[in-house]
Amino acid sequence: MDKQPVAEVRALSKRFGEVVAVDSASFALQAGTVTGFLGPNGAGKTTTLRLLLGLIEPTAGEALIFGRRYRDLDRPSRKVGAVLESGDFHPGRKGRDHLRTLALAAELPESRVDEVLELVELNGAARRRVSGYSLGMRQRLGLAGALLGDPDLLVLDEPANGLDPEGMHWLRGFLRGFAAQGRTVLISSHVLAEVAQTVDQVIVINRGRIVANDPLTEITDNGRTLENAYLELTASEAS
Amino acid sequence: MIAVFRSELLKQRTTRTTLALLVTMIALVVFAAVLHSFALTTGDLATRDGQMKVFGWGEIGGLFAGLLGAISITAEIRHGTVRPTFLVTPRRWRVIVAKLGVGALAGLAFGLIAEAVAIGVGSSALSARGISLQLGSHDYAQLLVGGAVAAGLWAAIGVGVGALVRNQVATTVGLFVWLLFVEALLLGQVPDAGRFLPGAAASALGGATITGQVRPPLLAPMIALLIAVAYAAAAAVVGSVATVRRDVA
Repeated sequence: MDKQPVAEVRALSKRFGEVVAVDSASFALQAGTVTGFLGPNGAGKTTTLRLLLGLIEPTAGEALIFGRRYRDLDRPSRKVGAVLESGDFHPGRKGRDHLRTLALAAELPESRVDEVLELVELNGAARRRVSGYSLGMRQRLGLAGALLGDPDLLVLDEPANGLDPEGMHWLRGFLRGFAAQGRTVLISSHVLAEVAQTVDQVIVINRGRIVANDPLTEITDNGRTLENAYLELTASEAS
Repeated sequence: MIAVFRSELLKQRTTRTTLALLVTMIALVVFAAVLHSFALTTGDLATRDGQMKVFGWGEIGGLFAGLLGAISITAEIRHGTVRPTFLVTPRRWRVIVAKLGVGALAGLAFGLIAEAVAIGVGSSALSARGISLQLGSHDYAQLLVGGAVAAGLWAAIGVGVGALVRNQVATTVGLFVWLLFVEALLLGQVPDAGRFLPGAAASALGGATITGQVRPPLLAPMIALLIAVAYAAAAAVVGSVATVRRDVA
């Protein structure tokens, strides 16, 4: 029998007026894995991640992290780190100050701020205002914020956006190392070639429904590329 | 809860918004107090009520405190920092309560500074014209304490309205329109009802209205205090409930 999953979504649905954004989605994440969460624009990826993190309320079903709803977690930043948008900063605030505000609210020591800045290699720019940051620097700052509480689960929405090849290489190594410590990663992405190099589990969502949830090796057996498999999975549902 | 409060306090201190609002407020109070000190006739300024047309301008602090409170939540929504904020503190009402507390403190300071500047500039300007000051120590105390409390409450109203409306431009323009036009018009045309509105009640606390004019129908300070507290509490509750119940996009 499996251990308790790190995160679990059960018959999760979200309706916005007439639009069913997520339609009875179910999946579970096991510890030590990197899961790629794939799907076309508007398929329900972002909504699912926000449901998981308690930012939006499900119409039906439930989303649990370590067996609890996100909002019922005690000190959630020590268990889950998340980056949902690449630009969630006040442009007039310095990068380090942004992290300090989060560390204070999370009751983490200020020394943690400098540790995560070092981890994402952003020390040099930390005392500059975020308005002067490149997209790649913002991604790193967001990741630093997610890592403040030294979490066991990392949820990243499109983390590869704006990263240069070097940044991409760094992120891949970082995520693999993170999972190798027995921790868990859930990343949504459109960059399939990158996903194929990073993840071990693939969940595909299309029109709000989970259409695949398999190990990468199974999806790409019989010589298919991840891209071919993805196009098949998302096209068959659309017809 | 204290941790969330300290985080909100640091947010106020780490952008230039607070300082920009403070500097603009002081400049406006100086401008209005100097203008009225020299534009009004010595006849106008012979009485205590006449001199309130100069000293009353300190209540601009309330407007800026309201803006400060409103921006403390709408800037987070506008720039997306609500997402990390609510991920760290998923019991969202705590964030709103902390913003109410920090806003009220900053509002008190804004109100006190605005009233002190109006008194300092006004008394210097009137003295320069050789006009003897007609305000008693009770008047100064009411301006300073009443004006500070009114501004503290306006900051809370700003947080509540901002949390409800969410859009920064709509909230700040709405606050201006409400205070400078809607309330001024109602107070002018239907004073019996108008004096119970939040801006008029806050004005009565400090002893003058937002236009710097003393109007007879203002409420007694203690009744005004109760009414202003009720408005602030209502805004706080509505803003908190809306923040907890609604999805965060």
